[in-house]
Amino acid sequence: MIEVDSLVVEYGRGAEATRAVDGVSFHVGKGESLALLGPSGCGKTTLLFAIAGLYRPRGGSIRIGDEPIRGPRREIALILQDAGLLPWKTVWQNANLSLRLRGEYPTKTAADVLGDLGLADAKSRYPSELSEGMKRRVGVARALSTSPSVMLMDEPLASLDALTKERIQNLFLNLWTRHRFSLVLVTHDIEEAAFLGERIAVLTECPARIKTIVENPEVGDLGYRDTPAFREVVQRLREALEVRS
Amino acid sequence: MSDRPIRKRLRVPALLRGRGATRHVAMYALSLLVILGVWWGASALIKEWKGGREYLPNPVRAIGEMARLAPLWFPNFLVSAWRLVLAILIAFVLGYPLGLVIGRERRLDEIVSPMIYIVYPIPQVAFILLLFLIFGIGNPVKVAIVATALFFQILISARGAAKNIESTHVTSVLSAGGSRFQIYWHVILPATLPAILTSLRVSIGLGMAFLYIAETYGTFDPRRGGLGAFIRANSYSAVQAFAGILAMALLGLILYVAIDLLERLLCRWKYTSRRSS
Repeated sequence: MIEVDSLVVEYGRGAEATRAVDGVSFHVGKGESLALLGPSGCGKTTLLFAIAGLYRPRGGSIRIGDEPIRGPRREIALILQDAGLLPWKTVWQNANLSLRLRGEYPTKTAADVLGDLGLADAKSRYPSELSEGMKRRVGVARALSTSPSVMLMDEPLASLDALTKERIQNLFLNLWTRHRFSLVLVTHDIEEAAFLGERIAVLTECPARIKTIVENPEVGDLGYRDTPAFREVVQRLREALEVRS
Repeated sequence: MSDRPIRKRLRVPALLRGRGATRHVAMYALSLLVILGVWWGASALIKEWKGGREYLPNPVRAIGEMARLAPLWFPNFLVSAWRLVLAILIAFVLGYPLGLVIGRERRLDEIVSPMIYIVYPIPQVAFILLLFLIFGIGNPVKVAIVATALFFQILISARGAAKNIESTHVTSVLSAGGSRFQIYWHVILPATLPAILTSLRVSIGLGMAFLYIAETYGTFDPRRGGLGAFIRANSYSAVQAFAGILAMALLGLILYVAIDLLERLLCRWKYTSRRSS
């Protein structure tokens, strides 16, 4: 489904160009999930934005389905840090922004999605009236509004408290198992990567290169956090990131 | 020990607490009372200092005179009001979109900004003679003088506001497939609106000053020449001139309130706060 091959992304031009992603290759099949785990500022967001069609690669290629990526596409949804809600739009307007930008009107499904996410009563509220957890759920509603086959998440749970973070992780897992979109999650949270990624690509410091890929086949169950397999994956990720206690 | 004594000290009258229109009106009334008090004190002091001469009439006398002279100043008030509003609209319609585009389009910014930096520091009063030569002495020159002064103010505010937009908001629309026009419509326009309305508030004071200058020069009809002409025509009497000054203050207040209402209507999201989730 997602095919990234020898990807190079740079900022700037000529001698002053800064390389953010350097020769990254991976494959994410239909309905699979991949977590990109790396330290802050390593270039993982740049990599994700290139997959979303927001940055033009300097080298290599990205294909989704059989089509090379040349810009944002309908089947790709991106959830940003802090949900990326527009403060001047209500929950309903934010949730349906992707549809409206494409000249489409919200359907009954859009209302159902808000209902499923517990936002039915908050439709006419502005983001400043919402808790952080609710904002993230509106971001999810927006991403689901176009029924995407590829879901990209850029540290979607950064700066949330532990309880809210766990609840939204559970929500992501439920949505992924129900909708079976191909998921690429960027995070610097080891446990989040282990909970949501069937495979976890550990990235180096900037420029981002893949250091190792950790297989995590038992992912997909809410109780996975309490299993020895989860703790083992977390330990392997710590070692790969050279985290010392 | 409880914190009761502190709370007692901070207590404010019930009318000024809470939210809504009543509180808003109460705050305006309180401000007006303070201004009247200071005015009265200053009037008494100046009268005492100048040996009984009333250079600054007290509020009761000035307001009384204003009411008496209403048939004279009110037509001028209407003339000044439409000139000022038209000038603001012209400056807004030209300056706002241009400022946004300059703020967002890097190449255009590189070309246009140096021109702004050269022209803006020149006191706009310096252009008045040129404008009189171009437009003559009728209404167009008065509107042009005020519009020219406000244009740069609004242009620079819009440019600054457009540059400071959070990139997440733009990315949000871009990633959802938004076009350049949609980015302007859904992000840049609403994000900059509060800053522009603030700039408009500042512009009212500046606009009034330029309108006064414009109406003081080259006006020969004190009945329909605007408030500037009315004040100049009555400069022999401090009390009568003050009626014109008060009418200018009234015009400013009406415009401030109008922009406040406009902001509450267009930027409703700014007046919301987090509820329980």
